[in-house]
Amino acid sequence: MDLFESTRMAAKTLTANKLRSTLTMLGIIIGNASVIAMIGIGQGAQRLASEQFESLGPNVLFVSPGSPQTQRRSFDLPRTLVLDDAKAIAEQVPSVREVAPQRQSQLPVIYRNLNSNSLVVGTTPSFLSVRSFDMERGRFISDQDVASNSQVVALGSDVATRFFGNRDPIGEEIRIRGITFRVIGVMQSKGAFLGNNQDDAVYVPITTMANRLTGQTSPYGLDLTFISITAKDEASIPAAEFQVTNLLRLRHKITTEDDFTVQTQKDVLQIVGTVTGGLTIMLAAIAAISLVVGGIGIMNIMLVSVTERTQEIGLRKAIGASQQDILIQFMIEAVILAAAGGLLGTAIGVGGVVLVGALTPLQAGVSPAAIAVATGVSGGIGLFFGVVPARQAAKLDPIVALRSA
Amino acid sequence: MPTTTIVRLEDIYKIYGSGETEVRALDGVNLTIEQGEFCSIMGASGSGKSTMMNIIGCLDKPTSGRYYLDNVDVSQLNDTDLAHVRNRKLGFVFQQFHLLPQLSALENVMLPLVYASVSERDRRDRAVEALTRVGLAHRLHNRPNQLSGGQQQRVAIARAIVGRPVLLLADEPTGALDSKTTVEILNIFAELNASGMTVVMVTHEPDVARSTRRVIWFKDGQVMNSSLTPDEMNHLMAAA
Repeated sequence: MDLFESTRMAAKTLTANKLRSTLTMLGIIIGNASVIAMIGIGQGAQRLASEQFESLGPNVLFVSPGSPQTQRRSFDLPRTLVLDDAKAIAEQVPSVREVAPQRQSQLPVIYRNLNSNSLVVGTTPSFLSVRSFDMERGRFISDQDVASNSQVVALGSDVATRFFGNRDPIGEEIRIRGITFRVIGVMQSKGAFLGNNQDDAVYVPITTMANRLTGQTSPYGLDLTFISITAKDEASIPAAEFQVTNLLRLRHKITTEDDFTVQTQKDVLQIVGTVTGGLTIMLAAIAAISLVVGGIGIMNIMLVSVTERTQEIGLRKAIGASQQDILIQFMIEAVILAAAGGLLGTAIGVGGVVLVGALTPLQAGVSPAAIAVATGVSGGIGLFFGVVPARQAAKLDPIVALRSA
Repeated sequence: MPTTTIVRLEDIYKIYGSGETEVRALDGVNLTIEQGEFCSIMGASGSGKSTMMNIIGCLDKPTSGRYYLDNVDVSQLNDTDLAHVRNRKLGFVFQQFHLLPQLSALENVMLPLVYASVSERDRRDRAVEALTRVGLAHRLHNRPNQLSGGQQQRVAIARAIVGRPVLLLADEPTGALDSKTTVEILNIFAELNASGMTVVMVTHEPDVARSTRRVIWFKDGQVMNSSLTPDEMNHLMAAA
């Protein structure tokens, strides 16, 4: 009996019992749909994160306190990265265009009887261009504000809306930690960045932040949360990274481990890629488990089917089917079930991914490779889990099989 | 006219278990069946007639002894070769018909030819021919559950003869049928035999055995009498 005949026979048997065939496929359908959906959504998340980092601004480098090792180990970072470092970088590193030091913390912000707990960012005027922020109305902090410890604030768009609705807030006064600030501007909405709402923030001169709001916290000077730096152009990023590192080592008199970390946008992207990639693998692994469970489901039903079709098997053997014929017949049935379930599941998974793409900002997409792998794997699962029932069928003694009524 | 021997059994033993629990299902059977014979195997249950049937049908192998089917020693063939022998040389008819419910009458009859790798067209032609011989030319495309018991058994007979076997084996072929249908089915066997087919039928019904020309009587795994005429059997039955 050739493969074509066996396939036709198997198709006939499977279509004769549609409900059972469908139920048998269900596990594979669900497994495959979730593998496809998880990989698609995971890749979408990865793409979204990358896009957000790219929106930080071109050619950006970040300097943060603590060595990469310390950053991973603890929240208690050294307070050695100070405003003077930022100034030195701006003045002495030739490949750097602009430097925006930043010191920030979550503080209570109050307007009349309204209050919110927002991120208060102390920074300098260059923040706007370095981080690619724009003003909705009014102005940002000026050099004059920084020099004179002015009590002025630029509001993130969410804070402005919460406190003032549609009214123009410029000239109004708000209080941060009990200290009065005059509103000078409102930022354009920037959206969320990796889940953090960048619009729920207010911006004050870095000097005011240190002198009035947080006070002296480091013996080395005005310590910073991080420094954002733009390089002159893309080609000078590696040079900037190298020069900034050297300058800070000199200034901090480093002989052993650095007490700061310089990261380029590419470094950060790589970290994000690793994290979301790991997440994708984890999701896919969970989905793959359900695929295996689906395969076991097929094996289970096929075993029942062998018991139920004992007489058929006996008859086939009596009229001349060899063990191999029976084995192939049952294997093909299992593979058809698994492959058909795989295709159906893939279709559902792709549908789900398209739906997610349409309803959320996630640019979820399915790679043809993922589809090929998932469908191939489910066929393979049919082959693998079909072996046991098929062998059992092939080994049946025709005499016993025919007698069982 | 010189006859050809279809079945030759020499010192066939079939022994299950060993030692204390040893059961001799067949205890030294010698038997020949010639081309064109129409015989029945009779005996009480446990007499070994079913085991005999399985061995003649190449569904089972003897523990020892030689079995020549159509002059070929098949007693020690492996499973695959036995499947081949069943496919090419034997036709089976069972008490429970054993038709596949998802297939039409025609497809059921074609099934043995599928395993014989006969081309699709020849399969169809031969299956139609076989069904015509058993009087079911008008029922080709019915499923088994759309047929009466007698019709189902006729489909089964057509399936048994479609491969042009040298021996037609029937195991209680009328056991599930009423008396009127039984006569019809036995007539079909008689017609097939008249056209040259060798037929061996296992039965425990004397009426059925009487329709054959030779009765082989089994008792305790041995052939008590290998060539009773139906009349002699009547005497034997009366005496028992």
